[in-house]
Amino acid sequence: MRAIETKQLKKMYGSVPVVNGLDLVVEKGEIFGLLGRDGAGKSTFINMLTGIVQQSSGTYSLLGVACPNAQVKKRIGVMPEYSALYSSMTAVEHLQYLSSLSGKPAGKQRCIDVLHSVALAAHAHKKSREFSFGMIKKLGIAQAIIHDPELIFLDEPTSGLDAESVLVIHQLIIEMQKRGKTIIMTSHNLDEVERLCTRIAIMKAGQIVRMGTMDELRAFYRQTVKVRIKHAPVPAAQREILYRWLKTAGTKLEIAECYTTIHLEEEKKIADILRAFHHCKTDVYRAEVAGPTLEEIFLDESE
Amino acid sequence: MYAIGKREFFSLAKGSKSLMTISILFLISYFTVKPSGVFVSELTVEEAEMIHNAGLLIFILLFGQLIVAGLSHDSLNREMHERTIRFLVTRTSRAGILFGKFFGVWVFWFMCLAGAFLLTGIVVRKLDLFLFSQTMSLVTFQITVTLLFSVLITKPGYTMFLGIVTGLAFPVCGLFVTYTSNVWVNWLKFVSPYYYLERNDAAFLIIILLAGIMLSLANLIFKRREC
Ligand SMILES: Nc1ncnc2c1ncn2[C@@H]1O[C@H](COP(=O)(O)OP(=O)(O)OP(=O)(O)O)[C@@H](O)[C@H]1O
Ligand SMILES: [Mg+2]
Repeated sequence: MRAIETKQLKKMYGSVPVVNGLDLVVEKGEIFGLLGRDGAGKSTFINMLTGIVQQSSGTYSLLGVACPNAQVKKRIGVMPEYSALYSSMTAVEHLQYLSSLSGKPAGKQRCIDVLHSVALAAHAHKKSREFSFGMIKKLGIAQAIIHDPELIFLDEPTSGLDAESVLVIHQLIIEMQKRGKTIIMTSHNLDEVERLCTRIAIMKAGQIVRMGTMDELRAFYRQTVKVRIKHAPVPAAQREILYRWLKTAGTKLEIAECYTTIHLEEEKKIADILRAFHHCKTDVYRAEVAGPTLEEIFLDESE
Repeated sequence: MYAIGKREFFSLAKGSKSLMTISILFLISYFTVKPSGVFVSELTVEEAEMIHNAGLLIFILLFGQLIVAGLSHDSLNREMHERTIRFLVTRTSRAGILFGKFFGVWVFWFMCLAGAFLLTGIVVRKLDLFLFSQTMSLVTFQITVTLLFSVLITKPGYTMFLGIVTGLAFPVCGLFVTYTSNVWVNWLKFVSPYYYLERNDAAFLIIILLAGIMLSLANLIFKRREC
């Protein structure tokens, strides 16, 4: 069954089409990523699907049901872009209240378990007015999954979280997919989307400019990556081996005493390069990707 | 809808608000409106007999709008302003949210007024269910007006202000159009609840109809609102 299907979905603000006639199909069980620069229309698109804003034209269905439909709302979970909380309620109280609204009142233990899965269990009984930004975000995710929905919308679930929490959330998303859930998420972070998503759509000015699996997109944007490495002088005995190896790994090799520049076919190969330096007993002090990254090429693509 | 109503009710009833409202209602009805009071001339003979309970109706007539608005003016627009409404609209229908809120506020007032009526009833040893129904119909109308403002105007600060202004203006204008003989404005009495209360029959049911219209209007507007 299709989790999401939109037909010519459009949102105008004044005379500006913010989402401009989107046709999208997301299959059940996918983790679908929406990528795009600020203002591309990602949130507006999600807000339309979740009933926060009304579309100007077009239609959509969720879980095979034509929407808007109050019944289907009980089967979806939404983490909106700006999570605001009831300042006088604790995390657990939020989850109890909101789960009862979804028709599946959660017991205390269920709430604690869900809070645990977003690394917020330590603050289960703290009033939300005392929450930090990251904690608000995590409770936003928790409330989206408390009623065990089939389809989950996450609008920038990890932006602003510390590295450790980001991993926790990634783990959670992967686990939910394993349990048969469908997830649609937005992000500014290509690495994150690459790690998690089965398919990705790149949005620009209200339209999807490219869509596919990561490999498909990569193949489309076949482009070399220029890497500049600062390192200790290469021991004379290792020099020959290292240079020979580098020549096979990339192109346009430039070698100086303490700097090496090389063009690689894909970012993944950077790790191989670093390993080669290590193997040749040469310390690497810095490795930087010069010129546009794959991420920048993706996002800046102009029509 | 039920969960929203429950939360709305408890947030109103929590702490001192409901206790204060009941005590004010009780004190007003029992002590301040005496048979010699200034409002008695508006009442029929039967009502004069039930003056203690009628005191409640008169109090709600004069200050109900103000108090209802004071307690609930930001019931919906605060959630829109702070965006917590997004948790609600993604879970249930907009009509469900609005009616849930209405239900919660209504039950709160029902409890307060029933409490005050019972208390005075015990003291004067007489209960007037007709007067109670009239008073409830009036409060129902006032609640729907307050909710209508709350979806119409998205800034909680403005509805507070508007609540005070209308709270003061409603009884003045309402009573004026009800009793004026000026043909240009006295047709307005048909949309003012005061006209139907002054009559001693089931006309108060029309006030509930008016309340229904207000609520449907609020529902229409809320459906189009961006959250
Ligand atoms: N209520 C509104 N009124 C007018 N314009 C709006 C409104 N909401 C959003 N927009 C405009 O719609 C465009 C898309 O906004 P949207 O929030 O969907 O972008 P986004 O892709 O989610 O961006 P970000 O990555 O910054 O979250 C922006 O240009 C924004 O200014
Ligand atoms: Mg956004």
